Amino acid sequence: METKPDLNIDRSIGDFHYDVDYEFDAGIGLSEKTIDYICDVKKDPDWIREFRKEALRKFNSMPMPTNWASHDLDNIVFQNIRYYLSQGTEPKRSWDDVPEDVKRTFERLGIPEQERKFLAGVEAQFDSEAAYSNIKAAVGEQGVIFVGSTEGLHKHPEIFKKWFGKVIPTGDNKFSALNSAVFSGGSFIYIPPGVKVKHPLQAYFRINAENFGQFERTLIIADEGSEVMYMEGCTAPKFETSTLHSAVVELVALKGAKIQYITVQNWSANVFNLVTKRGLAHEEAEIKWIDCNIGSRLTMKYPGVIMKGRKARGEVISIALAGDGQHQDTGAKMVHAADETTSNIVSKSISLGSGRSTYRGLVQIGRHLKGCKNNTECDALLINTESRTDTYPAITVRGKENACQHEASVSKISAEQIFYMQQRGISKAAAMSLAVNGFVNDLVQQFPMEYSVELKRLIDLEMEGSVG
Amino acid sequence: MSLKIENLHANIGDREILKGLNLEIPKGEVHAIMGKNGSGKSTLAKVMAGHPDYEVSIGQVLLDGLNLFEMEEPDQRARTGLFVAFQYPMEVPGVTIANFIRAALQARLPEGEELDAVEYYHHLYEKMDMLKIDRKFTSRAVNEGFSGGEKKRCEILQMAMLNPVYAVLDETDSGLDIDALRIVSEGVNAMRGPERGLLVITHYQRLLDYIVPDVVHVMVDGRIVMSGDKTLAHKLEAEGYDWVEKEILQQA
Amino acid sequence: MSNTLMENPIAAQSAWPAWFTAEQAIALAEYEKSPTPTRKNEPWRFANLKPLDLSAFVEAKPVASEGRLINASAGLAETSAKLVLGNNTLLHRESSLPAGVIFETLETAATKHTDLFKKYFMAQPVELGSHKYAALHKARLAGGAFLFVPANTSVELPIEIFQWVEGANASVFPHTLIVCDENSSVTVVDYFKSADKLPAFACGVNDLHLAAGAKLTYVSVQDWSHETTAFHLNSTSVHRNATCTALIANFGGGFVRGESLSRLVGEGSRSEMFSINPVEGTREIDQRTLQDHVAPNATSDLLYLNALDDKSRTIFAGLIKVEPGARGTDAYQKVKNLILSDDADPNSMPGLEILNDEVRCSHGATNGPVSNEELFYMQARGIKRDAGRRLIVNGFFNSLLERIENKPLRAHLEQLLAKRLAIA
Repeated sequence: METKPDLNIDRSIGDFHYDVDYEFDAGIGLSEKTIDYICDVKKDPDWIREFRKEALRKFNSMPMPTNWASHDLDNIVFQNIRYYLSQGTEPKRSWDDVPEDVKRTFERLGIPEQERKFLAGVEAQFDSEAAYSNIKAAVGEQGVIFVGSTEGLHKHPEIFKKWFGKVIPTGDNKFSALNSAVFSGGSFIYIPPGVKVKHPLQAYFRINAENFGQFERTLIIADEGSEVMYMEGCTAPKFETSTLHSAVVELVALKGAKIQYITVQNWSANVFNLVTKRGLAHEEAEIKWIDCNIGSRLTMKYPGVIMKGRKARGEVISIALAGDGQHQDTGAKMVHAADETTSNIVSKSISLGSGRSTYRGLVQIGRHLKGCKNNTECDALLINTESRTDTYPAITVRGKENACQHEASVSKISAEQIFYMQQRGISKAAAMSLAVNGFVNDLVQQFPMEYSVELKRLIDLEMEGSVG
Repeated sequence: MSLKIENLHANIGDREILKGLNLEIPKGEVHAIMGKNGSGKSTLAKVMAGHPDYEVSIGQVLLDGLNLFEMEEPDQRARTGLFVAFQYPMEVPGVTIANFIRAALQARLPEGEELDAVEYYHHLYEKMDMLKIDRKFTSRAVNEGFSGGEKKRCEILQMAMLNPVYAVLDETDSGLDIDALRIVSEGVNAMRGPERGLLVITHYQRLLDYIVPDVVHVMVDGRIVMSGDKTLAHKLEAEGYDWVEKEILQQA
Repeated sequence: MSNTLMENPIAAQSAWPAWFTAEQAIALAEYEKSPTPTRKNEPWRFANLKPLDLSAFVEAKPVASEGRLINASAGLAETSAKLVLGNNTLLHRESSLPAGVIFETLETAATKHTDLFKKYFMAQPVELGSHKYAALHKARLAGGAFLFVPANTSVELPIEIFQWVEGANASVFPHTLIVCDENSSVTVVDYFKSADKLPAFACGVNDLHLAAGAKLTYVSVQDWSHETTAFHLNSTSVHRNATCTALIANFGGGFVRGESLSRLVGEGSRSEMFSINPVEGTREIDQRTLQDHVAPNATSDLLYLNALDDKSRTIFAGLIKVEPGARGTDAYQKVKNLILSDDADPNSMPGLEILNDEVRCSHGATNGPVSNEELFYMQARGIKRDAGRRLIVNGFFNSLLERIENKPLRAHLEQLLAKRLAIA
């Protein structure tokens, strides 16, 4: 039963590549010149140019966080990466206008079809810039803004500037500094007070070029009493060399607003995925991260919520699947900064073959707060003998009127369970797949239908070859 | 056509549990095995199904002439037509009954053929109604948090859906109250017929008032030591297993 | 480093063999060249680094009140042996141990039982952050206790060790080395006490070695003055089918850094790691633990209880590590913080590193206040609120003391706890 998983898992979904002609290419390497090039192409205002250069200085001065994180980070060669590649900075409003060589990628990924079926708006990013961006007319008429970060910066500077970099300061970590220096693409979303966007807004991030770094920057502001669900999907083809994806996502939920941010990533096994995601929840606001991490060589991602208003709520629901040779280093950060704030973390991970899944959590409840609660549950499932899992929570809960609970467990799929399923005629491999899907089932239910079906398919694909 | 067990010896670790068991259940008949705790009844069910903890040293089990022990994996044996309703059914967290039975049925279809979903649910609901299982159960995880009686009904539901040629029911009566026992028995009786053989393993005679067997066997220490008609069950109930043991001693 | 503690030369009148004093010189150099920890070192995450300034501490003088300390070294009613040390020097020894059991001062053991000493003395590397302070301990080590229980020997009554510090800013380096040979069994209670309420520095190490089938119950009752800065570095190795139960009660100390490593090196071995920590005022208990499963089918069970009042602070950073070959591991780790004040600062980092899939592992951390329901119930019976609260804290810790099998020892610990919580 303990055979080594097949290394060449069929990644039919994202593993393909078409040649594309780029109009703008910052070349290989990172310096002030790279930043000037990006600013010139994007016609950035001076304050952004200065912001980027300051971020570059911070990035250069900060050490790799290998005092606690994986030493695999040392294998990233920043001077071998291309920091900006695009066919232009203006996304098209109609798929008909998207150049053929880019459009066929998104068609193959099924994006235009999904848009027709169930989405309120779509942004499709190809390497550094969005190739397509559009929202349904009815949603636009409600005053909802859904554009790329560059357009947000140019057309809505008053909202953009107020919140940009405020939830995640440039120097939060080395990779947020890198993103701040070279960011391009990502979404800028503003939901006016009281507007409840019925259907999800979706962004799709596609890496197409080799030796490339994708650094999208997303800022979502949900004004008082508004509601929005944002979904992102990510894929990249499998290249010989490693690729870097390092995004920064900032969410602001003003009084009584609700933001749900859903990620289903399916990176190929050579991607370093180092992402900083954090939300700021005001009074009675709710921020929920639903995060599914499949693929990549190393993912480091700890979505967080700072609950700064009374009765704010934060939640992280996370599924990670570490395939052979992969490391999913994920978790959550919950900072309680007001009374009666509550947070919930549920994390489930599966390690296959020599895959390693790590949970890191940070829960802080400040003193003199009342009625705050955190609940954390981490469950890890190990499939093969050489599979690995780690759990590293850090909990500081002060104040005698607050409560916090952390529980974690590690298990494998029981032989009895597999025997039982096999007695019903189900093959061992199918039984393993069923058991793994069962393990994450309660979390998958929280994804929208279309995504949960996709997720199940991805898990089945990953499970193939992990049992003999 | 029969389910035929020949000189079966099986052990768990160093301990031999089945010590030369012979039994044949012709298609169309219902047989019962009675025996004390520890006589090896449940082992027999698990060994036939291919539980990995048991090792077969000698003997064979022929399902309509096919040797089950030539099939490595339990699922191959199951698809050949053997079903075991377990005494302690496993919980399968997160996997709903509907998806589970569907996966089991799908596994029986040829490569590339898809189960018809509408027909499947129609069929599933029909069987659930028969067993008086609430339709809401379809979205509950298999056996997770079920009462003893619910688990047993869920086993019979699976049997009804998978339509095996031979079924072994291991202590299906344990943990059932009188109403549940009647419902489960009706479900089993509905499956009696010329195309199927049933083996009912039980500790008590009670179940056999509901599922009336054609033949009753008595198992002692890993062997069938006595066989007879349904009156044998009543005699056992009245006089206990000591009587059988004395009988054997006298014969020996 | 040029603090006063370090300026003193290694004791010239040392009773230690020359080969050991030579090793001490190396350890001193090691201490001086090791960098002082920063919070960037994972083992020092959340740690308060101020107490690491040891410049105020000086070498301890011989104790002035020898008779009083010996009289005050009273624990269990019935013991099989007792050793009393004050300021690193032997004050008193009594013993009715079975033949073959060696119970000596450490320096005597180094001279008379050199092979045993060399084999087991600080045999495991210090991995939980205080490498530097372990070097300091070795460099300045002057006295300590050595216990060897030969194979197939059961010591029925507990053995007690009292290690005292006396005088302002005095430094002591307590050391307890216990070696249990195959199928032996013994219970040891180690008391750490201050003769006064003055500031002091204690930098202690204990090594517990359990050969196959051995059974050891080790209890540390740490009751330093509330002005004391203390390091307690414990390491335990448990061989095949051996069982170690270790309980650390931190009743005293102003800043206490405790490191406990238990390595399960034999199949079927078992290690229980317990700690009870009532903290108040500005006291701080910083505990780091490692349950290292090297061998298959071993069990470890850790339960740490903290009750925090006033502005006290605790850190618990634990790790269960299941090595690739350790199939069939059962490992549990739990820290519970009972919060009695808004200003208390509990930090919990319960960690797991699992490199084998055949395991049963779980860990948990809870933080919560005293239940108002329970308090109300007590008040309804006429118990004052404050007394009720202390009763609840007492019950919280007592639930752990129930895990101590030896009844007279358990009763004695319950008594000490009640006294500590001002209930009795």
